[in-house]
Amino acid sequence: MSSILVIGEADGKEIKNISQQVSAVAAGMGDVVGLVMGKNISDAGMKLATAKIILADDDKLEYYDPVKFTSVVSQIVEQNNITKILMGATTMGKDLGPRIAAELRWGYLGDCLEAGSEGFVRPAFAGKVLARSNPEGSVVVSIRNNAYPAGESWSGSVENFSGNIPDSTTNTISIEKGGSGTVELTEANIVVSGGRGLENPENYDEHIRPLASVLNAAAGASRAIVDAGWVSHSHQVGQTGKTVTPDLYFAIGISGAIQHLGGMSGSKCIVAINKDPDAPIFKVADYGIIANLFDIVPVLKSKLSN
Amino acid sequence: MNIAVLIKMVPDTESRLEIVDGKVKEDAFKYMVNPYDEFAVEQAVQFKESVGGKVTLVCLFSDNPGIDTDLRKMMAIGADEAVVLRQEGYRGDKPSTNSKILAEAIKELNADLVIGGVQGIDYYQGATGPMVAHHLNIPHISGVTKLELNGEKITAKRQIEGGLQIIESTLPVLVTAQKDMTKVRFPALKDIMMSKRKSFENRSVSASEENDVETIECSLPPARDGGLIIDGESPEEKVDKLLEKLKMEAKVL
Ligand SMILES: Cc1cc2nc3c(=O)[nH]c(=O)nc-3n(C[C@H](O)[C@H](O)[C@H](O)COP(=O)(O)OP(=O)(O)OC[C@H]3O[C@@H](n4cnc5c(N)ncnc54)[C@H](O)[C@@H]3O)c2cc1C
Repeated sequence: MSSILVIGEADGKEIKNISQQVSAVAAGMGDVVGLVMGKNISDAGMKLATAKIILADDDKLEYYDPVKFTSVVSQIVEQNNITKILMGATTMGKDLGPRIAAELRWGYLGDCLEAGSEGFVRPAFAGKVLARSNPEGSVVVSIRNNAYPAGESWSGSVENFSGNIPDSTTNTISIEKGGSGTVELTEANIVVSGGRGLENPENYDEHIRPLASVLNAAAGASRAIVDAGWVSHSHQVGQTGKTVTPDLYFAIGISGAIQHLGGMSGSKCIVAINKDPDAPIFKVADYGIIANLFDIVPVLKSKLSN
Repeated sequence: MNIAVLIKMVPDTESRLEIVDGKVKEDAFKYMVNPYDEFAVEQAVQFKESVGGKVTLVCLFSDNPGIDTDLRKMMAIGADEAVVLRQEGYRGDKPSTNSKILAEAIKELNADLVIGGVQGIDYYQGATGPMVAHHLNIPHISGVTKLELNGEKITAKRQIEGGLQIIESTLPVLVTAQKDMTKVRFPALKDIMMSKRKSFENRSVSASEENDVETIECSLPPARDGGLIIDGESPEEKVDKLLEKLKMEAKVL
């Protein structure tokens, strides 16, 4: 019988929540084999919510490398009669998925919002269109964070990968952490974004970051303020930035241009704070406050801190 | 140093999206250079300016000539030549097919470095770059925010969750650009004039392989209605009402 391979990712001693979400989706589709690759990932890997777990724990796999990881995956696919590969649409998943698909000559579906035995739905045009497919052939699929609830870990059978890991001509020298305590935009349950209504970068630091920190949220931005150099592009939400789907999204001093909406309109609940009643952001917001943000945000922050 | 730059033409971000019979109506689309690819062009030209060599733009598209002016603008930034692969029935959502065709054309260029954008802003699969690298049998590094060339090696900073992965690679390698990689210059008038004399080759190609997943139906996401505007006499009252709603009604706090 054919099986589904779930590629999980370790985050220290834990398995990423997105990997558990993917495992839960896969469980509804057939027999599941899990795979976690890395160095010292065995403790985390054993928590993956799949019946069978393969651990590729090796010094050579310390850092993500598309060539090495693709090779490990294709060896496992061959040995286990795999016909579908599922993974989270993380920076690794979105990079690895297409490379594996090319190697195996399978189809690829990136960043899916829905996945199941009835087929897949993925966004096009920054989520302004949904494209449904139901491939008969083998596919590699990456699934967006927060699209499904996470599966619970259970004690499945564990095997160690014993195949061969090729050398690669790329070499990771180090990982630079981007500021301690910052929550990653695409993984956050709450996102607090600021726009040009903040008037200057100091106000972003004074109003947006602290509000985000009180809520344990990620801090996002419109392109206008990224282009103005207030914050780096890694904060940008929208068609040419990141697509986020948190439970709660705050748009503060953001007009709601179509390119911004593309990156956040999949959020479960949207709150807009803007002084212009005609700002397009109110058309997508679940809750709107028409007011000067400098009057509202400090109150909001202090009430949330209590 | 030979550098190939992958260029995708994508529907303008203001394009009206209308669905007819489960398909996106595309006939009124105007196309533009994928914004991420512009960073790739700029980076390639900067490398050429510092170490010499040639920058070739490689673009796969349909027979539609409406894109030529925009491609010429990329040449005005400093690319030396353009190879435009014209495929009947080209579609932007077929990365497997498209990467195979692109890789065939790039093989002839003996490129030391291939640069593209991290993703197309039409279908957002981010798949073509890694797939082209696979077909060329070279490694790839995607989502790069800073790229340095030191002799026969490059150093790349790749955006990952919570930080940057610093990667060194020998050439040849394929890199895809994130927005922060470069600042795209505004070409001078003389460069715009010069670009008109640069080699611009149209070549017909056809697809040889079909692994792409067929879309069976497109739809528009359920429209979000404008929600509730929260009234109140004072900021305190508005915030209280908002928090109440977020906790009790939306249950997100
Ligand atoms: C190809 C392309 C790609 C793009 N990609 C993106 C993208 O990925 N992400 C993105 O965000 N944009 C993108 N844009 C840009 C987009 O079109 C808008 O220009 C941008 O989103 C505007 O940012 P903003 O809302 O911060 O600024 P503005 O549009 O200037 O809006 C500022 C808002 O703040 C409000 N305001 C001002 N002062 C106050 C106050 N004191 N209190 C409350 N409210 C106040 C104003 O009423 C206004 O609504 C793209 C554009 C193009 C052409």
